[in-house]
Amino acid sequence: MSREITFKYWNEISEGDAVTSITMDVPFERVILDAAATQDYFPGHHNPAYARHQGQKEIYLNTMAIEGFIDRVATDWAGPHTFIRKRQMQMRSSIYAGDIIQGEGKVEKCYQDDGRYLVDVSINISTESGLCVPAVLTLELPAAQPS
Amino acid sequence: MSEIFNEPFPLAYGTYEDAVKLLNKPGEKVVSEFSVNWEMIKIYCSMVEDGNPSYWDEEYANKQWGGIVAPSGLLLTWPMSLQWHPQKERKHYFIAMTIPLPGDTIINVATNTEFHRHLYLGDRVSVVDELTDVSEEKKTRLGIGHFLTTKAQFFNQRDQLIAVQTNSLFRYYVPEEES
Repeated sequence: MSREITFKYWNEISEGDAVTSITMDVPFERVILDAAATQDYFPGHHNPAYARHQGQKEIYLNTMAIEGFIDRVATDWAGPHTFIRKRQMQMRSSIYAGDIIQGEGKVEKCYQDDGRYLVDVSINISTESGLCVPAVLTLELPAAQPS
Repeated sequence: MSEIFNEPFPLAYGTYEDAVKLLNKPGEKVVSEFSVNWEMIKIYCSMVEDGNPSYWDEEYANKQWGGIVAPSGLLLTWPMSLQWHPQKERKHYFIAMTIPLPGDTIINVATNTEFHRHLYLGDRVSVVDELTDVSEEKKTRLGIGHFLTTKAQFFNQRDQLIAVQTNSLFRYYVPEEES
């Protein structure tokens, strides 16, 4: 099923605008796919006994999967013409197999720098247990829709 | 209750003082085994259900970026070492895994990345990283250990800077009574 693609332009965005929320389930299959897709075979991402040895309750998504989901929240909202200039994220709590994640955010700042049209957005990734990964991204967008 | 896992994750072991000696010493430049390829891009995008046409649609990507580009989140994957190689020993390219400390496991804490340009199909990534900070021993809800901060610079085959990443992870052990 194809999704509708939206294109936002810098001059259409205002501070305080909401970033469209996205939800995605995280079954065991996705966590294993994550290890394979990112070539990250650290055992906490595929071996439940190892994850528990680490003090985790279950195998969990790696940083690269979470980055991909954060970026998707940003670019599904702003459009595929977005260049992600900067991403800052903190892993406060792991995202486990069996969780459902939600990404939502808002526009913090719109500004120009060195000829670039930039938007800072805060994006929070949460599960039923609460906030897991807060992030702030700087997005570069076209200034205005081409006439 | 402790459980059995196949084998511990291979890390370098030593003391905090051993780790401090390695501060601000860049490692060797590691060149990725394989080039940026569309197959791995599609597998990654399917994992996070990202339908961005920059990764899937040649016509759109050519017009917007001059070609299919790699998702930013795949940056760390390109230089990952293979699980097995007929000539080479498997080794970590992340310098954090090679820092001698007491903890027997790790968890990532924070990652900040600045991107300078896209990676395109066929590009070959190389990376240089260094340890920039190591904390004294700390106790957290997960266990006892040290926070490591590293800085990695990623380049393409033309030595153009792709991204700079600062990463913090916790190298720790779970005290016996809690494991």
